[in-house]
Amino acid sequence: MAKPRFRHIGAALPRKEDLRLLTGHGRYVDDIEIPGALHACFVRSPHPHARIKAITTDPARQSSGVVAVFTGADLAQWTTPLRMAPPIEGLLPVEMTTLPMDKVRFHGDPVACVIAESRYLAEDAAERVEVEYEPLPAVADLQQALAAGAPLVDESLPSNLVSVQKYSTGDVAARRREAHRVLECAFHQQRMTHLPIETRGCAALWDEGRQHLTLHIGSQVPHPLRTQLAARMRLSESQVTISSPDVGGGFGQKIALYREELTVAAASRRLKRPVRWREDRMENLLAASHAREDSCRTRAAVTKEGRLLGLELEILEDFGAYCFYPANYLARVVAMILTGPYKLRDYAFEVKVALTNKCGNGPMRAPMAVTSWVMEGTMDAIARELALDPLEVRRLNMVEPGDLPYTMPSGEVIADITPRETLEAAVKAIDYAGFRGRQAAARREGRHLGLGLCSVVESTTYGSKFYKAAGIPGSGHEAAWLRIEPSGAVNASLGLGATGQGYETAFAQVVADGLGVEPSQVRIQLGNTDVAPYGMGSRGARGGTAGGAALYLCARDASEKVLAIAAQMLGFDSAEGLRMVDGKVEREILGERVETGITLAQVARTAYLDPTALPAGMAPGLDFSKTYDPPPMTYSNAAHACEVEVDVETGAIRILRYLVAEDCGTVLNPFVVEGQQHGAIAMGLSGALLEHMRYDEHAQNITGSLADYLVATATDLPNFEVLAMHTPSRSNPVGTKGMAEGGVMGATGAIANAVNDALAPFGVLAERQPLSPDYLRSLLRSARRGAR
Amino acid sequence: MLDFELTVNGERHAVRAEPRKLLCDVLREDCRLTGTHVGCEHGVCGACTVLIDGRPARACLTYAVQMQGHEITTIEAVAKDGKPSALQQALHEAHGLQCGFCTPGIVMTFEAYLKENPRPSEEAVREVLSGNLCRCTGYQNIVAAILRVAQAASDGKA
Repeated sequence: MAKPRFRHIGAALPRKEDLRLLTGHGRYVDDIEIPGALHACFVRSPHPHARIKAITTDPARQSSGVVAVFTGADLAQWTTPLRMAPPIEGLLPVEMTTLPMDKVRFHGDPVACVIAESRYLAEDAAERVEVEYEPLPAVADLQQALAAGAPLVDESLPSNLVSVQKYSTGDVAARRREAHRVLECAFHQQRMTHLPIETRGCAALWDEGRQHLTLHIGSQVPHPLRTQLAARMRLSESQVTISSPDVGGGFGQKIALYREELTVAAASRRLKRPVRWREDRMENLLAASHAREDSCRTRAAVTKEGRLLGLELEILEDFGAYCFYPANYLARVVAMILTGPYKLRDYAFEVKVALTNKCGNGPMRAPMAVTSWVMEGTMDAIARELALDPLEVRRLNMVEPGDLPYTMPSGEVIADITPRETLEAAVKAIDYAGFRGRQAAARREGRHLGLGLCSVVESTTYGSKFYKAAGIPGSGHEAAWLRIEPSGAVNASLGLGATGQGYETAFAQVVADGLGVEPSQVRIQLGNTDVAPYGMGSRGARGGTAGGAALYLCARDASEKVLAIAAQMLGFDSAEGLRMVDGKVEREILGERVETGITLAQVARTAYLDPTALPAGMAPGLDFSKTYDPPPMTYSNAAHACEVEVDVETGAIRILRYLVAEDCGTVLNPFVVEGQQHGAIAMGLSGALLEHMRYDEHAQNITGSLADYLVATATDLPNFEVLAMHTPSRSNPVGTKGMAEGGVMGATGAIANAVNDALAPFGVLAERQPLSPDYLRSLLRSARRGAR
Repeated sequence: MLDFELTVNGERHAVRAEPRKLLCDVLREDCRLTGTHVGCEHGVCGACTVLIDGRPARACLTYAVQMQGHEITTIEAVAKDGKPSALQQALHEAHGLQCGFCTPGIVMTFEAYLKENPRPSEEAVREVLSGNLCRCTGYQNIVAAILRVAQAASDGKA
């Protein structure tokens, strides 16, 4: 295959975004000054589950500076409910009103909205809203949720089990019967939250004259958000503008249209005044969006040599109280891609999702984060059971380059991935061969080292065909436009929503190569639905793959027209042999590049201001748009290796080395990609070691501050070693495969495997995260008791 | 409501605010300096870090009215005449920021720290940086940028 040669794609260009962000001149939602704006504050339920008997708002209304107090009954007049009912087998339809009217379903559920002249006054008045509750028994965990006679979180459902999906291919029962061993493993991933440092917030401006709503909001998906907001306010999409300027992190939390945001928008329309809202950190922890909390079990049938014959997976996910997404959406992907780089024919899964009285779940950076821990933890378990080397078990089962494209037992197809290459590079770099010796020597000194491996096959970019096959309405395409202005200035846009990924830089590089200009000549304009084309936004790891390809193809179209005009200006019959480099049109004569003297600025002036000089039949202007629908699924791959030391007296884990060998195809900007690798691994380690959204047995959230919800600080994390092993994808016009979530998957598994390797002499196994000192100590204590 | 004066970035600002109004809110709303970000309002995340008389402090744990007679410095005063400081430049070159929301607090913390500790070890840098939460970067490039500034300063003096 001819490797495309790029001039700017792949260059480590420092980011265009940085200067404004470094000097305090970023423009996050709260930085936008809106004269006369009112402030919203929500009254939230202190109960996990309770009937709303009455809401008395008068004292609050009479409070200083208060303009209005709205409840669910008000919002029901101005907005429509959210119905979540995609035609997916085994998934039950559910519906929610904008604010609850009959009962609250979790600790933090919003029941009323106070709107006042300032945030301080709104918070004062919120304390004076009197809500009479009749507490109901609550469902605090999966066991309670599925117990016979359990209280119903959603009374429209027959039970709390909102989704059940089963799948089987081959004959796993037969494989179990003929296996040398059948082993079972458990993996419990705890409840977490995204924790962007900028919490949720928005500012709504209703223009009564134009009957138009502008919503400033940090969003990953400006256009789909506009579609939802317009529909739920009974407005047309022409009546709503979403403006998403700088965004202080998203990680999946800034995708859904939340009830608070819809309330603020409706309030602005009702009051004919701007209304703004910024949640505080406690609200963000209690009531924004939670994630994960999956209990997974595998049953593996293996030969004496460690070859995997059959595999069964059970996932049970705690989805919380409300469905802002189809309830099967997150866990099902885990089951679809579980087997990753391993060869297997006989596979079965069962994915169950239950509602509980907790904040609702959403996709968090790597919704399928648990996948690699489950698969690679199972690989380690096979090695332990059969007293084999875990690396050898992986080598034995892994696809060979000649097996690709390979159809996983779930029907997913992997192609253009390099799992063997990345695994071998990672074990070499971490000196796997020498590790057992180091480990034995350390043990003699009473130090407990462990090494964990974790191969990752990351599903990065979902095409429309994937959604269609999964029964999910929606598309995987992305859209781009590019406009060369009369001066030759280049503006371009995409439907993505930036939350720190360096789009303004990396996509300028894409345009630069597609069109033939310098990146400094290109301005990427994002986050405003009046400016950007309708795209599906930023989620998964689709920005570079779907967005980059759409923009590259758009820039190629632009280049074609520019060169056709240049040819006409030069008096040539065709543009053959012409190309543009850094804004100057060159001609190839006998293999030599010769400048023609024509520049992009001259071409642009002709296109706009002298259209009669254009080739016959050519329309004036230089305005281009393009959409691109990627293949059903794009995969990238990586191998993580992690060396830890566990202090068995305290349960503390120290990460001695962490490295990743990753292949994500063509890299648009290595700075940005490495930054994403660091960030993803950090989030994975933070989750595996520290983060835990905790509810007590009565479903009270006991994690209301950053002193309770711990995330990794600079002293918790090591430096990461990155081995770049990128090979271009053949199915993507730029060769990108996508990345940015796989690091979470790999870190979640690598650290758990390393810790279990260190704990092996004690005969204990960590099956739960976070791997807190408390938890490790409890395992070690139980082991010692057992030894006595 | 109280009337009082604040000195921010060398300029005097006449402020009319309730005594309970936080320094971060007064800076953002009354002084219109929105570079100081509010991430947690309970002193953990460090995004709101400013300098009070040259020392880093949480603007979310300080009442503005207490700041009469003190010199406040915010992120807006770090670059001089549009030229980024050595630390800001290093963060740019080392890709030490992504979404950028936590960045002003980190810059303020280390502008002060590096003045008093021009040659810190990586361990010391990480210890100080642990007072600022960043959800994007994994900290590695921030640490590298700070060490780069320290190295350049010590090279310059050598």
